[in-house]
Amino acid sequence: MQGKELGDYIIEVERIRKTFPNGIQALYDFSARIRRSEVVVIIGPSGAGKSTFLRCLNGLEDFDSGTITIDGIRLDDNKENRLEIRKEVGMVFQLFNLFPHMTVLENVNLAQMLVRKKNHDEATKVTMSLLEKVGIPDKAQSYPSQLSGGQQQRVAIARALAMVPKVMLFDEATSALDPEMIGEVLDVMKTLAQEGMTMVVVTHEMGFAREVGDRVIFMDEGRTVEEGSVEQIFSNPQKERTKQFIGQIL
Amino acid sequence: MPPVNNKRSRRIWFPVIHSPWSDVIKFLLVLAALTWLLYRGTESLGYNWQWHRVSRYIVSVKDGQVIFGPLIQGLLVTLRICGWSLVFSFTFGLLTALLRMSDSVVGRGVARCYLELIRNTPLLVQLFFLYFVVAPVLNIDRFTAGVLALSLFEGAYASEIFRAGIVSVARGQWEAAHSLGLSTFNLYRYIILPQATRYVLPPLTSQAVALIKDSALVSTIAIYDLTMQGQVIISETFLTFEIWFTVAAIYLVLTVILSTMADIMAYRLKTIS
Repeated sequence: MQGKELGDYIIEVERIRKTFPNGIQALYDFSARIRRSEVVVIIGPSGAGKSTFLRCLNGLEDFDSGTITIDGIRLDDNKENRLEIRKEVGMVFQLFNLFPHMTVLENVNLAQMLVRKKNHDEATKVTMSLLEKVGIPDKAQSYPSQLSGGQQQRVAIARALAMVPKVMLFDEATSALDPEMIGEVLDVMKTLAQEGMTMVVVTHEMGFAREVGDRVIFMDEGRTVEEGSVEQIFSNPQKERTKQFIGQIL
Repeated sequence: MPPVNNKRSRRIWFPVIHSPWSDVIKFLLVLAALTWLLYRGTESLGYNWQWHRVSRYIVSVKDGQVIFGPLIQGLLVTLRICGWSLVFSFTFGLLTALLRMSDSVVGRGVARCYLELIRNTPLLVQLFFLYFVVAPVLNIDRFTAGVLALSLFEGAYASEIFRAGIVSVARGQWEAAHSLGLSTFNLYRYIILPQATRYVLPPLTSQAVALIKDSALVSTIAIYDLTMQGQVIISETFLTFEIWFTVAAIYLVLTVILSTMADIMAYRLKTIS
């Protein structure tokens, strides 16, 4: 994926800090800038603040200080702004979080109709084409509990895509899956990356990172330890902590 | 005792004890014992049973026309009171639960005060307070006062049930809905409340049954509900046991119908998800 054309900065994060009520500091003056169409892979040991950072990006988690700007909109206490940003930022969770009382079709239709104000037919059209894209058009009438983990996660991706987001966040999207189902979800993510979607991906899948990542950020203890191209971080890490971590996972 | 015998006796008795008929027999035995106790009790009182006089207070036929007796008229009043109270208590309950979980400090405070006030004073006192103190000021009739008292009382308990149900919806559901940009109203309307319904239905049914039974208290402010009608008939006829048993049976039928409907609803919800 090297040499692909990247746009202007769509996400700008300036020195955000986040301390949980129990005193654990999750983010310490963390900054990052992400370009349009860039695929940024965030790696690091557990407790490094990777997930917290992702959750801050769409306002699921408040932060104590610093600024986050997404496509020109400041993420602050203003509720309108926060809602606006959530419309533009899609998120895929480790545990899928599909709505269990709705069919796949209803899951994907819901936000299109409630938030984007489409009527049922328009929404269904989009939904079916997205289900086609993630490879499960025949499951539209199924309930989440009738699907495998991999299928559920693909529905979750379709649900997020239905909002036509400018940015997609993936929070360990394959960690809860059986090994044989990881591939089908990664394939969908790769397709998205190739289509030019801006993606921030927290993952332990180093193969995926190598294949589609434009940039890797290695985090530990709430800060960026080292960042650079995939090649640089994986093959030629500069910092001792990075070397140690890469040595353990590869 | 040698263990061999033990084993053999188990082989003989096991199918007898565990057949469905044994349950029926046990039930009949308990029923017979209760009847016998009651019979002995009333016999020692020298009570003169006159069940044949009861039917006219339920329904009678005069000149080919069916006339509903005072007990049925009382039942209709009870049904009206319970119907309105059910609607209002669930509304109060849901609103209070949402207030208690809102970001507003004032909202949480108001909800908390209402809860503590209602749960820590007797329903009868609340009923009298509403009827004798509030009703004349606001110029509301006794029926409304009764419904209001019951609704406020049961609503406080219902709110705790709703709150528990809402809290038990997985955190991921909130996050997924938030990440899609759903407004708070839509979040509750489409995601949280439909899922909470499954958790709250059984305890809410118990609450509704309690409401029906508690509604008997409105007889104290001279509303002619089932209980009040029963009291009036007894004071005129001295059919104490017969009428109270009949009244109790009517309440029982009412609550059993309600529980059965709730069971059917719960079953449907289960098969959907």
